[in-house]
Amino acid sequence: MRYKTKEAIVGYVFAAPVILTVLIFTIYPIIAAFYYSLTDYQPLEARKFTYVFNPYDALEIHTGVLREEAKNYKVDELLSYFDSVSFVEIDVGVKLSDEEKKIIRENFDSLNLLNDYREGRLPQQIKISEFMNRYMKNHGERFTRYVPKFVGLQNFKDMFKDMYFYSSLWNAFLYSIIVVPIQTLLAIILAVAANSKIRGVNVFKSIFFLPAITSSAALSMIFWLIYSKPGILNKILMSLLGNFGFEPIDYLNEPKIALFAIMAMNIWSTAGYFMVTFLAGLQDIPSSIYEAARIDGATGWQIFWRITIPLMRPQIVFVSIMGTIGCMQVFDQIYFLIRNLRNITISFYIYKNAFEYGKMGYASALAVVLFAVIMTLSLIQRKVIKEEY
Amino acid sequence: MKKVLAVLLVALLTLGLFAATKITISGWPGNPIEEGAIKKAVDTFNSTIGKQKGIEVVWEPIAGDYKQVLMTRLSGGTGPDIFYVDVYVFEELAKANVLLPLDTYVKRDNFDLSDFYPSLVDAFKYQNRLYGIAKDFSTLALWFNKEIFDKYKVPHLTNDETWDSFLKKLQQLKSAGYETPLGLAPDFNRVIPFIISFGGRLVKPDLSTALGEPNSKKAIQFYIDLVTKYKVAKEPSTLGSGWLGEAIATEKCAVVMEGPWTIGFMKGSFPDTFKKMGIVEMPKGIKKATMIYTVAWAINRATPNKDAAWEVLKFLVTEGQQIFVEGAGVLASRKSIAAKDTDPIKKVFYKGAEYGVPWKVSTPTGLFATANDQINSLLKDLFYEKITVDEAVKIIETNYNKWIGK
Repeated sequence: MRYKTKEAIVGYVFAAPVILTVLIFTIYPIIAAFYYSLTDYQPLEARKFTYVFNPYDALEIHTGVLREEAKNYKVDELLSYFDSVSFVEIDVGVKLSDEEKKIIRENFDSLNLLNDYREGRLPQQIKISEFMNRYMKNHGERFTRYVPKFVGLQNFKDMFKDMYFYSSLWNAFLYSIIVVPIQTLLAIILAVAANSKIRGVNVFKSIFFLPAITSSAALSMIFWLIYSKPGILNKILMSLLGNFGFEPIDYLNEPKIALFAIMAMNIWSTAGYFMVTFLAGLQDIPSSIYEAARIDGATGWQIFWRITIPLMRPQIVFVSIMGTIGCMQVFDQIYFLIRNLRNITISFYIYKNAFEYGKMGYASALAVVLFAVIMTLSLIQRKVIKEEY
Repeated sequence: MKKVLAVLLVALLTLGLFAATKITISGWPGNPIEEGAIKKAVDTFNSTIGKQKGIEVVWEPIAGDYKQVLMTRLSGGTGPDIFYVDVYVFEELAKANVLLPLDTYVKRDNFDLSDFYPSLVDAFKYQNRLYGIAKDFSTLALWFNKEIFDKYKVPHLTNDETWDSFLKKLQQLKSAGYETPLGLAPDFNRVIPFIISFGGRLVKPDLSTALGEPNSKKAIQFYIDLVTKYKVAKEPSTLGSGWLGEAIATEKCAVVMEGPWTIGFMKGSFPDTFKKMGIVEMPKGIKKATMIYTVAWAINRATPNKDAAWEVLKFLVTEGQQIFVEGAGVLASRKSIAAKDTDPIKKVFYKGAEYGVPWKVSTPTGLFATANDQINSLLKDLFYEKITVDEAVKIIETNYNKWIGK
């Protein structure tokens, strides 16, 4: 074997753990989501053919004839008590589509089954898939593995008629449009402040960064207390503006305000996180440029807008793209704090559909749309703010 | 050497033969008292019947989003052997065929179902098959703070309140200067007793929605009017509480409609307010109505140990129930145990079983979760006067089929 091939093989063997992890946990789920978005995948049905059941019990319940007495009956008589579709659906316990019902009605070998029942030739325990294979004259293979029904673009068509799809997607947009610019600007300001040579700068840095390392569940609970009607925010505002007729607001339950309350919370908690990126960027700007600017008589304001901002372009691109992706997918704060369906964002709506409403196919389709939206936004951003070095 | 091997082999065999069948049971942990009762029941089983029959029960609570976690585990094939099924999601699970029908087992052991309240047995039947046995139940009753009523010189609420007299007393409190007499949640299940007592119904015989019928609509209107027109009620979050029980316990309102689960909560955390509580039956309209919340133990259809699971389930709804009722203060679903339960506070809740309706809305697809969310969202809008009841009912009627996935 040539040395190069050998080297390549060794290389791949070493990289195999990572390659496999990425394939199994990243690439496969993405492809699966695309596939499921075209089906009506029902997670609860995924294992319906793997259950084990006792055919005697099922037949006793269905026909009302006890197993010991079955041999005293004629097959024709037993047949008159027997209905293949309701037997399979209710007593064996397989949820059937209309098409499957039709196949069973035409192909189920009732005679054979009832004969075996009379003569006691049935097993005590049998897997549903095996049972169906045994007693279907044809098409037994259709009942061995759960295959979600392919519905084409139906899930995507349903979205157009779903008002919560529009409102949740719009909420995510609105959220990003407001949060991303403010949090980016705030992060830059914090970074500039944290980069200046003032006393105790490290303390400030830690304080700015603290929200980023606090769990969002804890933050949500704190903000729930702040935002509640008898909460701190209302108390402060009442003492300041009470004379001007200010009425306490229930921030998280008032449909028009709830989303903005979450936005404020999120800006506060993520600005510090992105500050770190800008801090790294700031330290990359050579001090000679600032010196030269100062010698030329530039004011602090001019230095900030003409030197700092343009030289931090790569970081701004990075932060705004990451921020947009994060904002479009905002989930936890909504999950913890929002109770009104009008104010939810799309990723929470995906969660609800997938795990609460049992509409995995529709949820996958929503996820695909969200994916497309985020990708388009990222591409546009890259076009608008060109990366130049 | 051979001898040693033989001894080892025998030891392994006996261990293998007597190794206990492990049955996992899951539910939500509830409050510490409730979970303590379950743990006690499990221990009792393991040290008595379990020991004889070689069954070991393990309690694996699911904290957080119970339904979502359970569904995910069931679809992954890692579901517990026995688990709680809330009557509200029962049809959805039964229809998906993940629950084991119990009829054969009931028949085989001559298990006495007639000892259970009939409405609780029927609540867990689907297409005439029994899929679960009620572990306990709860009903709603009217809780009020006697001290506040005395202070504002309003006569106490009684067991024979009508909606009119009820409203009048709330208005008296309000005009005497008590800002928010009633705590009211924008939850559809809390509106149901209103609808039933106003002579309305939830679904028509063909299972389409009946919320647009005049009586149902009138009930919804009254519920909303308490908040918007008469301004005697507010939702718990507006009062700064997480739920109604907390609102009345912290004396942020004087009246709520709550269940027996509030007893344990108040006794534990707010014993002083609890002494001021009066508990009476729900007000009536054309007829009496309350909500029955019930949870069953059901067996996973995929469990490999069906017989052992049935043994455990039988224990949980007989002796196990006795332990729950004594420990957690829940209402017994079995009449014989209920008869022994002489706690005077619980009497009014037991009475609700006679005329209450289970919290379940039958749909052709078995799905109601989406519709429930949507209706709750509309109720919230109604509380904030974003829409009128007519508009809300219209939205429900137009979208109902889509919500239930038809």
